[in-house]
Amino acid sequence: MAVAPMDTIAPVQQSPHGTPTGGSRRARINAHLLRLPFYLLALTMIAPFYWLLITVFKPPRELARTPPSFVPESPTFANFYDPEWSAQAVNPGHLQGIFQRYQVDLGFWRFMFNSILITTSITVGSLLICSLAAYVIAKHDIKGRRTIFLLIIASMMVPWQTTLIPNYVIMRNLGWLDSYEAYIVPALAKAFVLFFLVQFLQSIPNELIQAARVDGAGEWRIWWRIVLPLLRPALAAMSIFIVLAEWNNFLWPLIIVQSDEMANIPVALARLNSYFGGPDHQGAIMAGGLLASVPTIAFFLIFQKYFTRGIALSGIKG
Amino acid sequence: MASPIPLRGRLRRYGTSYAMLLPFLALFAGFLLWPLANSLYLSFTTFDGINPAVFTGVDNFVQLASDTRFRHALGNTALYVVGSVVLGTLLSLGLALAFNGTSWPHRIMRTLFFLPSVTSSIALMLMWKWVLYPSDVGLANTIVDWFGGSAVAWLATPGLTIPILVLMSVWGGMGYGMVLYVAGLGSIPQEYYEAAKIDGASTWRQFRHITLPLLRPVTTYVVVTGLIGAFQVFEAVYIVFSQGANTIGGVLDSGLMIVPYLYDQGFTHFRLGYASAIAWVLFLVIFVLSLINLRVGRAMKEL
Repeated sequence: MAVAPMDTIAPVQQSPHGTPTGGSRRARINAHLLRLPFYLLALTMIAPFYWLLITVFKPPRELARTPPSFVPESPTFANFYDPEWSAQAVNPGHLQGIFQRYQVDLGFWRFMFNSILITTSITVGSLLICSLAAYVIAKHDIKGRRTIFLLIIASMMVPWQTTLIPNYVIMRNLGWLDSYEAYIVPALAKAFVLFFLVQFLQSIPNELIQAARVDGAGEWRIWWRIVLPLLRPALAAMSIFIVLAEWNNFLWPLIIVQSDEMANIPVALARLNSYFGGPDHQGAIMAGGLLASVPTIAFFLIFQKYFTRGIALSGIKG
Repeated sequence: MASPIPLRGRLRRYGTSYAMLLPFLALFAGFLLWPLANSLYLSFTTFDGINPAVFTGVDNFVQLASDTRFRHALGNTALYVVGSVVLGTLLSLGLALAFNGTSWPHRIMRTLFFLPSVTSSIALMLMWKWVLYPSDVGLANTIVDWFGGSAVAWLATPGLTIPILVLMSVWGGMGYGMVLYVAGLGSIPQEYYEAAKIDGASTWRQFRHITLPLLRPVTTYVVVTGLIGAFQVFEAVYIVFSQGANTIGGVLDSGLMIVPYLYDQGFTHFRLGYASAIAWVLFLVIFVLSLINLRVGRAMKEL
């Protein structure tokens, strides 16, 4: 897909920038030596991830052993689901897998469902709502739009935790505690998304919109047929931020969720962690962590190009 | 202003405009502006969430000024913010300089360092808690054991709390800063370096006089967003360092920071008025930082 305004941000060709790569043999060796600390740093990146991964496939007994094994000796999927565990009889060496740990319908799947539903609703909803408002602010000559835009920019300087307590009270008064509404509705009007979309629209010439108006298209139709397609690269960049933020959202769910049924993945795993601290339970906890990470990592690997471009774009413009 | 469009048509068009703005504005007012004003009011009250709020003037703020736990939280936050932002920014820049090419080793390294940014943050926190397990079954203590040391109670040693939180933050965040710096490096014209080479400038001088000054906007962004994010830290403290339901800040409050203290006062002690006062202190800090960001940004453009 061609995304013209962002193409300048792609990584550069082999270039010096302080660490020369070309030139003489000595310079090349020097360049590698300079990178050495960063390769060592890379080891510290790999080690905890590796530790998480092997934990997922070790049975409880192996997890409680010292020194720990660095290649699972009896690899197993029991940390996801252990058919030999039963609630009636104690079966030594067998614990519940992550899918057997919660007393809610569907078990852990329920939290994955909740997280996916909440994340997609907020992403789609906020992009629609914010793009509508951005279109008006960027392209309609209405009274008060400057004031509104300034107010929205100013609000970006407010840490959201400042509104935490009143919003909790609002949710309680509306009877929304422990509901999807409490997750979704307060999260839809995102000032930074609107700001970013307005900036993006301002860099787009008015001709297409004017032409559509001349052809008699209504404003809603113009928004849907012309503005949204034009905004596609900006929407892609913003959706990455929204998806990651909502998928990882923790403090707000912690406050509004009471039952197990309404937990998202982070709250569900935090609860599990507070009940079971022993090393033999870490297999199931890490299995939950892996399940929590697979969707976002997959999302990243598929849209890798948009990730780095989106981050760069927001950083340079925002 | 005279408009060529007849009044009725103008009304119709503006009506549509406002209708399109309405969903955003209604939600914005309802869940941001009103709660913001409300939290300012609550910060001057005593409020337990059940009985009506009682106006008590500046009592909460006076109390905050002499609250040793709050002072402790501020001190911890300051240490954490400085540590994580300084280290994080330096390493982000270093990584970007080391791995900004298009060759596959560089791409793999960039992906590796970026990986924590796309891994579920709760998974990372639980991973750290397990890596830092107090006995020899944990990874960190196994490594200590290789070098002949004895097991360290990582999460129960007050002096280690802030350093561990800083390292967790740097480990998780430097890849993100790296991506920003790589983009910044890519926008520096190659001609500058070529000209410098012809003039015989050393690699260090090129870095010092071309790369660094031209990266200044990126540095400002990385530093300011890093500061703002660091002031709001909650999850790492809550997940990794909480010892039971009622002790949120780790052993001897060694990891107590602003937002965890806000949560502690608001949602475990139900002192919602007092917690609102804490929220407004956080607001002021972040607001000032954002203003500095704007100032610096404008100054940069004028230069």
